[in-house]
Amino acid sequence: MEISKVYGDHVKKVLEKGRTDKASAEIISGLRLEGFRIRHFYDKRLPKAVQFLNENAIVRIADALDSPDTLAWTNIFAPVEILQCFDLTCASMEALSSYLAGFHMEDTCIDAAEAEGIASTLCSYHKCFIGMLDRGLVPAAKVAVTTTLACDANLSTFRYVGRRYGVQVYAIDVPGEESPEAVAYLTEQLKELIALLESMTGKKVDQDRLREIIVRENNSKRDLWEFAKLRMIHQWPSTLTLNMFQLFATHLNIGMPWVEQYFHQQAEEIRQKPLSSEKRLFWVHLQPFFEPSLKDYLNFGSKVAVAIDDFDLDYMEEMDPSDPLKALARKMIRNIYNGPFTRKVDAIEKMVTQLEPDGVVEFCHWGCKQSSGGVMLLKDRMRAIHMPMLVLDGDAIDRRGCQPEQIRTRFEAFLELLGEGKA
Amino acid sequence: MIAYVCKYTPVEVLEALGEETVRIAPAETDYNLAEALMHANMCSYAKGVLEVMESGIYDGLVLTDCCDSIRRLYDILKKRYPDKFIYMLDVPRKVNDFSAHIYTERIEKMVRAYEEYKGIKADPGQLAAETAYKAVQTAAFTRKEEEEKEKSEDPHLSQVGIMGARCPDAIKNMLTDRGVQIAFDLTCTGAGRLSGAYDLLQADIDQVDSDRYAASLLNQIPCLRMADAVGRERFLEGFTGRLDGIVYHTVKFCDMYSYEYAEILNEDYRKKLLGSPIPVLKLDTDLTVQDKNDAQRPLTNEGQLSTRIQAFTETLRQGRTDESRRNLERRMNFAKKREGKQMIVLGIDSGSTSTNAVLMDQNKKILAYKVIRTGAKSSLSGQKARELILADAGLSQEDILYTVATGYGRSAVDFADQQVTEISCHAKGARYFDPKVRTILDIGGQDSKAIRLRENGQVEDFVMNDKCAAGTGRFLEAMAQTLEVGIDQLGPIALKSKEDITISSMCTVFAESEVISLIAENKEKADIAAALCRSVASKSYSLMRRVGLEPDFMMTGGVARNKGVVKAVEEKIGAPLFIPEEPDIVGAVGACLFGLEKMLSSETDK
Repeated sequence: MEISKVYGDHVKKVLEKGRTDKASAEIISGLRLEGFRIRHFYDKRLPKAVQFLNENAIVRIADALDSPDTLAWTNIFAPVEILQCFDLTCASMEALSSYLAGFHMEDTCIDAAEAEGIASTLCSYHKCFIGMLDRGLVPAAKVAVTTTLACDANLSTFRYVGRRYGVQVYAIDVPGEESPEAVAYLTEQLKELIALLESMTGKKVDQDRLREIIVRENNSKRDLWEFAKLRMIHQWPSTLTLNMFQLFATHLNIGMPWVEQYFHQQAEEIRQKPLSSEKRLFWVHLQPFFEPSLKDYLNFGSKVAVAIDDFDLDYMEEMDPSDPLKALARKMIRNIYNGPFTRKVDAIEKMVTQLEPDGVVEFCHWGCKQSSGGVMLLKDRMRAIHMPMLVLDGDAIDRRGCQPEQIRTRFEAFLELLGEGKA
Repeated sequence: MIAYVCKYTPVEVLEALGEETVRIAPAETDYNLAEALMHANMCSYAKGVLEVMESGIYDGLVLTDCCDSIRRLYDILKKRYPDKFIYMLDVPRKVNDFSAHIYTERIEKMVRAYEEYKGIKADPGQLAAETAYKAVQTAAFTRKEEEEKEKSEDPHLSQVGIMGARCPDAIKNMLTDRGVQIAFDLTCTGAGRLSGAYDLLQADIDQVDSDRYAASLLNQIPCLRMADAVGRERFLEGFTGRLDGIVYHTVKFCDMYSYEYAEILNEDYRKKLLGSPIPVLKLDTDLTVQDKNDAQRPLTNEGQLSTRIQAFTETLRQGRTDESRRNLERRMNFAKKREGKQMIVLGIDSGSTSTNAVLMDQNKKILAYKVIRTGAKSSLSGQKARELILADAGLSQEDILYTVATGYGRSAVDFADQQVTEISCHAKGARYFDPKVRTILDIGGQDSKAIRLRENGQVEDFVMNDKCAAGTGRFLEAMAQTLEVGIDQLGPIALKSKEDITISSMCTVFAESEVISLIAENKEKADIAAALCRSVASKSYSLMRRVGLEPDFMMTGGVARNKGVVKAVEEKIGAPLFIPEEPDIVGAVGACLFGLEKMLSSETDK
């Protein structure tokens, strides 16, 4: 049995005894233990850059949970660059839910949310987040920042938990289309957010610091694109879990010095790796890190691998550091997940044409209407450019929502279609 | 003709452009096409709109980016109907001068797109004037309707507010048929257009410019897509002391409203907002209808909804429903029947799997009971149960003075004098066996429910799961078959379990394949059986948590005979469950008690 499950089951038992404080402290201890394991007993097959990212992502979230005074709940699209200027640590709702799922505790949290009346058809990340707060597993944050980008639930979930736990929430309304007025509307909101953070923290925003963050972000994205191209040629042994960790760098901590260092290290290290002969998949949206049949093939797979995920590449344009707020506003509006789905389809077509993977896989995550609803549009486009595409259904964090045998059959058939048999 | 869906749509502008508009209210029998073009897990309303558009009767559709499902609906329709006017308006979620101005510009952009589509060019001044005129007219019309509604409030009728997502008329009709008056409809189709646009009503028509019109659209009672939804609470506060209950309707795969429902579900919140914790009924539909051509548009799950609505109205404040009048007539009828006879009542619980009958005398003594399997027809099983129980007790039909039917098939028991829902009957029956019971878990063949009682035995809250087999007797029956053990053996076997294994799928179909895999892994039958019991217990626990875990606890229904499930539920709730000796007949006993109450009250009336 996995150690994380044993640990999670233990925390669940502590929780059942009503010892909430002990359970939440054990979540943090569990993360610290994992940090220790990564540092000292890391799987030697994994690249050094991946270890660096993994350790940072784990230790930093443990630190964040340990210091609620500087903790900010965010969603994956929040303008973390601004929060960094106030020395707030961002723990996104998606990341927190993933960690709890890492401890096999998503069921307890999701059940708690559903029991209080939250729809069972809601995205499991959101249910898990609501449930972990309900069960007292993570502390109330100093502030919460969310956006309306891509997903409805962001606004509703944050409003709900904000009211419930007395946390000030700032929601950014991201217009679907770009226009000068839309950019101005968003920029004004960012100014309002800054004013709020200034009054909450007593600090003034440092424009130079914000500009430096944007410069580091540009450097990081350039290295990431370099890595994506090299990944199509070189091996890069990894796992579904670690692929998802990439979002810590591309979104939650983008612009930080250690992230810039990570992307640089990643782009350098991959050049040293042997050439690859595996089938390379371009993944769309979420990867179910625990799913046993996909793990069989994709964790350290020699025949097939996830080369890159569109989520990591959702905004790759150069940002203008001389006008950081406008640059951040444009980043949100022009994100490929924002606006009509055709924008995302066009972007994926462009990336797929440039990177030339062997196939595309979209995982339709339970409750995610924004991605599931457009899957046939993407499939039609991929068919038009003769790019094989597989659609999988399941749940990216709730183990009860995945049917391993059904996924296995589909995935194996897809590999056969790509000309690659059983692993 | 151009269709639209959302109250934030600038309908007056489209009409000022000379276009006829209509708001779509889908009533489809299935969503086969929508699920093929989008995904099965999309909001039922969005799927319905896609099916309606396929009928070809509309020249176009103006959508707003209200939610993820509608955004994707736009993407699909835009591609599917390149020759139609398919347009999506980006409606700001915040309401301030800036956003009103931005919305004005987006509306103007829509006008340009429409002109291009039609090959026309409207005069801007004339269009603005016409829009202003129509907007003021609309706002005045809505205000008048609201005033009339306020005047028509009947103090003798229970007042129920409807909230949540779009509510089909069939549900409103079911409520009014039960003698309830609908105090308000806060769903997105509910409030009239431009409700609360006092600004427009007071303004000089010349002053109603585009920004002012856009602001009055944005200032309507907010739906939950808006950043600030406090306006909804203010609206509710206006009904403090005037409301007897809330029906909260949600649409399958529309999750936005469940947050508000979760808040409303909280008793303290209702007390704070409305002065008292009035009952709330949650209804969930996928908006599909049985027959498109039927003018009444009966919903696919009309039977289940009707049970819930009936049980809900039974819990509403006594004396406000017009039930009292009908009750009086009934009392007079049976008072005639019972001249000089012993008081014997029959309770029939017509469930989906078993039909249970109980005979009771005026001293509340159970004279006989019978449990038979429900066949294909509930009415026949009801009759058969009556014949058999009378034979057992050595009585004839004439000896029974009053019959109460309950359960899923209660309306098919045509010889009953009265029908009462299984919720109320289980509540009453449970207190008969143990007067201290506050929370009841009932797991029957095809449904499960949790009921919480007040100290005085009245139903305070209830939830039902009757949509799928998960967590019901049918689930265990199917799994017992897979394990090749008798259903009666599953519980005793589970108690012998040594290894803790988990069955994660709640769905019967998927759980079966999981069980098969476990058998293939050579896992012990006892451990698999225990895992199955825990799976049912976990589903039951979440039902019980939704009504609140108030001791003492009782479990009823056929599954209460399964010791494995009982043990697993007890572990979950951390308290013992009281199991009546005959857990299947609790509902029928409750039905008898309702019958006796009727008879005794008629006695005092005389």
